[in-house]
Amino acid sequence: MIALLIAGCTVKAVGDPDRPITINANVVIDIRGMKETATGIEDMVAQGGTRK
Amino acid sequence: MFMTALFTFLTLAYPAAFAGKYDLKSITPEVNRALKGRQARYAQLQDMKRSGLVGENNKGFTASLKGDPAAETIVAAENRDRRVIYQALVDQNSLGPSGMMDVQRVFAEVQREKAAPGEKIQGPSGSWETK
Repeated sequence: MIALLIAGCTVKAVGDPDRPITINANVVIDIRGMKETATGIEDMVAQGGTRK
Repeated sequence: MFMTALFTFLTLAYPAAFAGKYDLKSITPEVNRALKGRQARYAQLQDMKRSGLVGENNKGFTASLKGDPAAETIVAAENRDRRVIYQALVDQNSLGPSGMMDVQRVFAEVQREKAAPGEKIQGPSGSWETK
């Protein structure tokens, strides 16, 4: 659960409006998934470019 | 109770981040122009890479290496289009404020892998080498 908290976003809990709790964290990116996406985009660019 | 609510909120608000799948979910006119622009200059850019005028830096962008005016123009246009695509990936997949850096790093790695022997690439440490 801690990992999910770290992988979240900015969350404001306003139980006390004068003392909001703010959690700042980053979204965790699946690098392998992003690499597959990047490869696909670059392949598309190359194939489109080759055909011209 | 709070933790359960928080988990539900995060899962619903950021499904792409948790799913581990990324894509250009919407080809906006701006993204379409960027993709078409990259395809249109692809062959010319490859020629410039082969001749050593242009290299791939470690931030997912091209770099003009010898100050050639034509290369500078191509590099500027290419990088402008790449930035549009990277930003669309960040926005459409809710990758957060640090997402752009990760996207750039991954694209740089892909470009290094795709580079042909003899082309200039910048490694993660910042040093340039000939592949």
